[in-house]
Amino acid sequence: MRRQLASLVFSRLASNWQKPGRLTYARGVQRSSAQSPTLGLILGLVITLAAVVAYSWYITLQIRGLRELQNNLADRSRKDSLQLLRIQDDLNSLGLAMRDMLDNDEPYPLTAWSAQFQRVRSDLDDAFRREEELAVAHRTPEQREYLGKSLNQFWDAVGRTFTLAQAGKQAEAREQIRVTLQARQAALSTAVARLLVANNESEQQAAQRVGEIYDRVQRQVYIFLSAILIAIVLTSLYVIRSNRRLFAQLATLSEQRSELAQKLISMQESTLREISRELHDEFGQILTAVGAMLERAKKHAPEGSPLRTDLREVSEVAQSTLESVRSLSQALHPVMLDEAGLESTVEWYLRTVEKQTGVDICYEKSGTPFPVDGSAGVHVYRVLQEALNNVARHSGARQAWVRLCFEPEALQLEVEDHGKGLPNNGARQGIGLVGMRERAELLSATLQFSHPLEGGTLVRLRVPRAKCESHA
Amino acid sequence: MNRRSFLQGLGGLAGAAVLPSELWSAAAGPGFRLVDVTARAGIHFLHNSGAFGGKFLPETMGSGCAFLDYDSDGWQDILLVNGMDWPGHKREHTTLRLYRNNRDGTFSDVTRRAGLDVEMYGMGVAVGDYNNDGHPDILITGVGQNRLFKNTGGKFVDATQAAGLGGREAFSTSALWFDYDRDGLLDLVVCNYVKWSPAHDVFCSLDGKHKSYCTPEAYRGETCWLFHNRGNGTFEDVTPSSGIFDTSSKSLGVAMLDFDQDGWPDLLIANDTQPNKLYRNQRNGTFKEVGVESGIAFSAEGKARAGMGVDTGDFDGSGAPGVAITNFDNEMIGLFRMGSKHIYDDVAMSAGVGAPSRNTLGFGCVFADINLDGALDLVVANGHIDETVRNIRGNVGYAQPPQLFLNDGKGHFHDVAAQAGISFDRPKVGRGLAYGDFDRDGDLDLLMTTNNSSAFLYRNDQLAGNRSIRFRLVGKKSNRDAIGAIVRIYAGGSSQSRMVKGGSSYLSQSELPVTFGVGKRDRIEHATIQWPSGRTEEFKNLATGRAYECVEGRGI
Repeated sequence: MRRQLASLVFSRLASNWQKPGRLTYARGVQRSSAQSPTLGLILGLVITLAAVVAYSWYITLQIRGLRELQNNLADRSRKDSLQLLRIQDDLNSLGLAMRDMLDNDEPYPLTAWSAQFQRVRSDLDDAFRREEELAVAHRTPEQREYLGKSLNQFWDAVGRTFTLAQAGKQAEAREQIRVTLQARQAALSTAVARLLVANNESEQQAAQRVGEIYDRVQRQVYIFLSAILIAIVLTSLYVIRSNRRLFAQLATLSEQRSELAQKLISMQESTLREISRELHDEFGQILTAVGAMLERAKKHAPEGSPLRTDLREVSEVAQSTLESVRSLSQALHPVMLDEAGLESTVEWYLRTVEKQTGVDICYEKSGTPFPVDGSAGVHVYRVLQEALNNVARHSGARQAWVRLCFEPEALQLEVEDHGKGLPNNGARQGIGLVGMRERAELLSATLQFSHPLEGGTLVRLRVPRAKCESHA
Repeated sequence: MNRRSFLQGLGGLAGAAVLPSELWSAAAGPGFRLVDVTARAGIHFLHNSGAFGGKFLPETMGSGCAFLDYDSDGWQDILLVNGMDWPGHKREHTTLRLYRNNRDGTFSDVTRRAGLDVEMYGMGVAVGDYNNDGHPDILITGVGQNRLFKNTGGKFVDATQAAGLGGREAFSTSALWFDYDRDGLLDLVVCNYVKWSPAHDVFCSLDGKHKSYCTPEAYRGETCWLFHNRGNGTFEDVTPSSGIFDTSSKSLGVAMLDFDQDGWPDLLIANDTQPNKLYRNQRNGTFKEVGVESGIAFSAEGKARAGMGVDTGDFDGSGAPGVAITNFDNEMIGLFRMGSKHIYDDVAMSAGVGAPSRNTLGFGCVFADINLDGALDLVVANGHIDETVRNIRGNVGYAQPPQLFLNDGKGHFHDVAAQAGISFDRPKVGRGLAYGDFDRDGDLDLLMTTNNSSAFLYRNDQLAGNRSIRFRLVGKKSNRDAIGAIVRIYAGGSSQSRMVKGGSSYLSQSELPVTFGVGKRDRIEHATIQWPSGRTEEFKNLATGRAYECVEGRGI
């Protein structure tokens, strides 16, 4: 009956408390959703990705240009130069051969050199053909014509020289070499040297362009890195700002929740105190008066009559009801707490619990007691009440230890059992535990739940002395 | 294990117990050893470079050597070419040396008796029976006039003038006899290095004060000569008409080969600082130079190296002739394997010959199956030209150890010179190198000359029990020495080929009989001989461990 009444009162209060709480929470969520950083972050990500894609495209373009430049210009120019060097080498060989022919210190006629000239010619023709394919520097038609003509004239002169030599005109042939062939060979050599110079210049230009591309790419890399760095800084600032706002909202919410819980608990305590007083004062007086009137009526009834028996029974029921009302009143709000203080209330309560639940409680009190304010005492009492409730209802333990310690700076209450203990899996906390935490918070106290070595649960509430003495 | 193999094992153990340590390590190593028997064989030769401080270019180049059977008794004799003192600096009388094989591991100096005590600044030697009389004749190249010595049956007469080879002064190097027109008469190729004479010597210096030996760049090149054998004891200079004429070349080594495998001998010339030349025989008395297109003219980097010695041989068992060309230090040996379309690839690095030869200056080189395992190995004589090279390049010495690259038969070589015998890898200023089986035990012995120092004769002792089969060819329609003949043997699913070659190596000539290593085989399935005349003969089921004399058209 008493429990039913208490739970009824609590459920009503709780329902009244929960409604505005839910409303507050819903409002908070809506507000934070409106200011979510997700959109900004997604936008930042899109911009960054776009920048990376754009930059990759730019780099690919530059590398392609570089490759084309190297393949089509630098490498080709190098290969062309190699062919020109090959031509120069061949022309030089011809020059040396002509020198040998003029020296006239071989035991052979000049025609002996024809195979050597032929070998060089086939190599020279091949080199010229390849060179023309590879030529990078723009040749004017005049240049081409000059080169082709010079070469043809040279070979014509070679042919004439060997014709003279074959006809036995060695002296004329040597004169032809001295006057015509050597001059034409020198002219060819000069023309090829010019082409080599042009190639060198072309290679230098290519190298310069390559250098410019590298510089440009380097510049772009720096810009890109700077942009990325700025984007990172801005994103970070934005995230920090959003986080701060979120934390502020969380703090406000927590404060509101705490305030609400405080009001709820105060309201609960005040309601319980009111009901308790009503029960004690109103119903107790009434029942006491009823009892007195029944006693008087019993005296008027004849001895041994059925009326007298009935009156005695009604009087006993009234007495019993009076005791129940007093007991319920005490349970809802121990008046003793206001009148006798925390220590006596705790002692009384522990005896009551032992009697009601059969749990054997070892109580220890230590330290020099100091006065505990009624409001603070209620919260300590409620924590003790909830902790012992849990022992009786959930721990399965048949023994519990309660320690009340008055320390110089704090009041410490410990409730220990060696039962099942609290679940470790982070299961949702019951309303009782939530209430204990709220009360501890109201007292600026610390509330710890731990597992003793022997198993079970140890609840430790530690209230600063200042809060005990001056709690409103 | 039967009783016989058990006893053999015991015998082997007992033998091992009394083996000298050198033999034991060699037995555990390459399966043979090269024993220096120079002094024991009675060869006391000292090369005279003529060096007097003038630093004349030829001083550091010579000289060559040859294995030949000058008295046709079936035993290889030895010829060592010598230099002489320069005019105006006369100190001693030095001539080439001919050592007759006494058939007991020793030799007798028969130079004077043979009529060869002729003083000349000799460089190289080529041996060939140019008049097909059955007696090998000798051409000695050198600075000045080369000499042709006709063998009249154990005695030589100077036939230079009579043969039409007189009146030519040059700095000649390697030479070889071959029958390029396949008329049955040996023709002659002579390589010339540069246009040098004491009168035209150039002053070169490393420090600007003291004279040093010049590099060939200081001198103009000189053409090689090709002399056609008229068959009447005289030669016709066909250098210009044959397409050999080339005044840009500075030639040191020459080898013959049939690189396009058309049965006509081609010519490979190693040039110093100039592109190597490969003359393809056009079968009409002329040659076409195909060095560049065949990939043998330059190094893989396109550089003309300092080619010194050259040899050809079927070292990969493909039937196509491979090529080895020794080069200057820091240039590596060029080892060329025939690829597709008659194009050579330089496989020196991948074959394991390149890196070990990076710091050596190679001269003589021969392909020879030293361990008789059926794969041609490569032997190289090394030695620098500059006595002070150590001061300039700390890791390169003047005297350098020779190298013996054993072929594993799978295209890889590794140098086993250090395991081949106590003194073989001792540093020398190596130049000429030739092989020949002077003790007729079936394996190839080595003859090496050094510059301004001794010659070395290394006897090859087989320790692993490998066997060989040898062929001495006698041409009838072909030239009598059968130079240019190709012998192929087939055994166990694989084949080997050898060409009877004149020339090769550096300034030197190896014996003419061909030797095939056959490992432990006691028979081969068959052998074919492709004579220079075009005739092909085949012989089946031949026993190994012996030498066969094959007369063209008459069988074995």
